[in-house]
Amino acid sequence: MAAETSVKLVIPSRVRLVDLVHSAAEKIAEIAGFSDDEMLNIGLAVREAVINAIKHGNGEDASKEVEILLEVTGRGLRVRIQDGGAGFDPEGTPDPTAEDNLLQTSGRGLLLIRAFVDDVRFNYKQGRGMEVTLEKALKTG
Amino acid sequence: MKSNVRQIGHVSVVDLSGKITIGEGDVALRNAVQEILDAGNQHILLNLEKVSYMDSAGIGELVACYKRAKEKEGSVKLLNPSGKVYDLLSLTKLEEVFDTFKDEKEALVSF
Repeated sequence: MAAETSVKLVIPSRVRLVDLVHSAAEKIAEIAGFSDDEMLNIGLAVREAVINAIKHGNGEDASKEVEILLEVTGRGLRVRIQDGGAGFDPEGTPDPTAEDNLLQTSGRGLLLIRAFVDDVRFNYKQGRGMEVTLEKALKTG
Repeated sequence: MKSNVRQIGHVSVVDLSGKITIGEGDVALRNAVQEILDAGNQHILLNLEKVSYMDSAGIGELVACYKRAKEKEGSVKLLNPSGKVYDLLSLTKLEEVFDTFKDEKEALVSF
């Protein structure tokens, strides 16, 4: 489905820019018609995906960019986050809610992303890096 | 994020407000708790009533504070997590790790 409204952000891999992307994601979610609580959930999911792209994808190398495409669709919202990293196996990350991992100080980003949107897809493209697509549908009825 | 520390008996109550997120709130939380531990106090109650949300870095820092206090034979407990913060603690199963209270007096006598 063609995007009705789309905004593309391209940022250097700097953690301090995460707030800016979070705010943009919340605003686009508002335009798409999501409730305040869902706006925050979407903002948090995008935030975590961008943090992953900056830290793990691009290794916080500010010369490498993260592209974020926010699209209002007929059904809700789609967000694509592209980094320039070597990719990773999302299924290979430890479960942070397992008893042995509860006291780990990192590793909860994917859990939050998956909890706050309907669909998460990972697509590694050789030579381009990892693209993460998040989708969230508006509730109907 | 802003923090203010009240010393009540042997418990340091840290009133936090804002968001605990990467690069800012997480660092502020780490510094606030470290100052308390460095001053020789190790029983810490984090008042989360005015914290709007945390991200994974903020949640990780909460766990790091818990571990640092534990290393000094102390403890970190939570007071009044807001709706979204409570949801995040539940989602990450950290409600199983942290003692959480709704009433400050009840929290204080638990240390």
